[in-house]
Amino acid sequence: MTVILLLLILILAVYMLCSRDLLHGIIALSAISLLSALLFYLLHAPDVAITEAAVGAGVSTVVFVWAIRLTERKDCDV
Amino acid sequence: MSNPTSWRVRLQILGACVAVTVVLLPLFLMDNDWPVAGRDYLEARGREDTGAINLVSAIYLGYRAFDTLGETIVLLVAVSGTIGIAARAGGAGLAMGYGASDNSARRSGAGAVRDQKMGDGEIFALPDEKRKTHALRTHLLEVVTGKLGPVVLVFGLYVMLYGHLSPGGGFQGGVVIASGIVFLALGSRADSRTGLNKASTLACIEAAAFLLLILVPLSGMFFVGPNGTRGFFANPIAELDVLPAGFIILLNAVIGLKVGAGIGFMCVAMLGKEEKA
Amino acid sequence: MTERLLLLSLFLVGFCGVLANKNIIKKIFGLTLINNAVVILFVLEGARVGQHAPIMEEGIETIVDPIPQALMLTAIVIGVCITALALALAFRLYRNTGTFNIDAIRRKVHDAS
Repeated sequence: MTVILLLLILILAVYMLCSRDLLHGIIALSAISLLSALLFYLLHAPDVAITEAAVGAGVSTVVFVWAIRLTERKDCDV
Repeated sequence: MSNPTSWRVRLQILGACVAVTVVLLPLFLMDNDWPVAGRDYLEARGREDTGAINLVSAIYLGYRAFDTLGETIVLLVAVSGTIGIAARAGGAGLAMGYGASDNSARRSGAGAVRDQKMGDGEIFALPDEKRKTHALRTHLLEVVTGKLGPVVLVFGLYVMLYGHLSPGGGFQGGVVIASGIVFLALGSRADSRTGLNKASTLACIEAAAFLLLILVPLSGMFFVGPNGTRGFFANPIAELDVLPAGFIILLNAVIGLKVGAGIGFMCVAMLGKEEKA
Repeated sequence: MTERLLLLSLFLVGFCGVLANKNIIKKIFGLTLINNAVVILFVLEGARVGQHAPIMEEGIETIVDPIPQALMLTAIVIGVCITALALALAFRLYRNTGTFNIDAIRRKVHDAS
């Protein structure tokens, strides 16, 4: 189960770094945080799971979207 | 990933990755047993030393509370640094009162066109009469988050205060409270009365909680702790037979307030709503 | 074993993301990936020695090691602080130069000096 989750995280990470639209990358980062929180729950670490879910999928996404919103959204170099 | 067009740069990046792999591969291939001395000691003595059932809370609030103090200082510095750097960028970066968003700052650069398209402070909240932004926008976001905001706040308070009995604690409850504050700020309409939407209120709560966080451990220096010890972060009520975990509950509450108010302040300032004078 | 190799490849993907991308936001994505990989590695290694979560209710023995979990709580919070500061700096760079591309920024700084 942990191997499957790690494979999914790896695929999402490669997609995040190759995407042309930065907003898609931010959503992929939020999905990586969600999968990591599930992985921490499976590894018997509930405190780390709560922290990662609230911080990664919540606060980090808000800060990234703020940085994108008033600037550019397209990565023009891929 | 954008591939650089020259072969030299590609070769350098490949060389860097190979070097990192060579350095890290013994770490990832080793077969030693994980040392369990720490786990055995904590399993046997953690509950009596600190009074907390959750051993992770016992570590970062009982045995290693000084590291927690350092971490809250890092959070304070990061939040003030982020707001301070972004506020001086010119143009409508943050909410009014925190950004230099007067008209004289919109002089040149690519930011000027974007500012005129979005306007000040109308980015998330739709005015009740007329939609000025995207034509397909609905009120779904404001309705759902406005109703869910208090629920998330109550859940955050529960996670914060029960940190010694179940998974949770100061940091976890604090970031859940910050998410609740973001929900309330997203869902608020023009005539909302809650004070949690104003960034100035949250800044005051954060400062007061940080001051409490410095004062509470200082009390350990004046009362006698367990086995006759006294010092910074010593538990002053461990001898009293009332509830030795009460010190951990107090520390959890103060840390949760500080973390929640700090991160909530940063997010509310970033959402860019107008502040009513 | 496979999990550790997958984590090493996640670390390398983040590292290549920092090196090879021209966009500053993609570099910050890479930093976040590196942080995530190290956190998962520590929690994974600590979970090898037990079978229960470290909450000492009645009759629980052989708990998981709680020390790496306490360290990783701090690491996650500090990671998000670094991300927020890096994004504030990138925002300020965009305001001053008008682009996120580091080649263009480097050219503008070179021309201005």
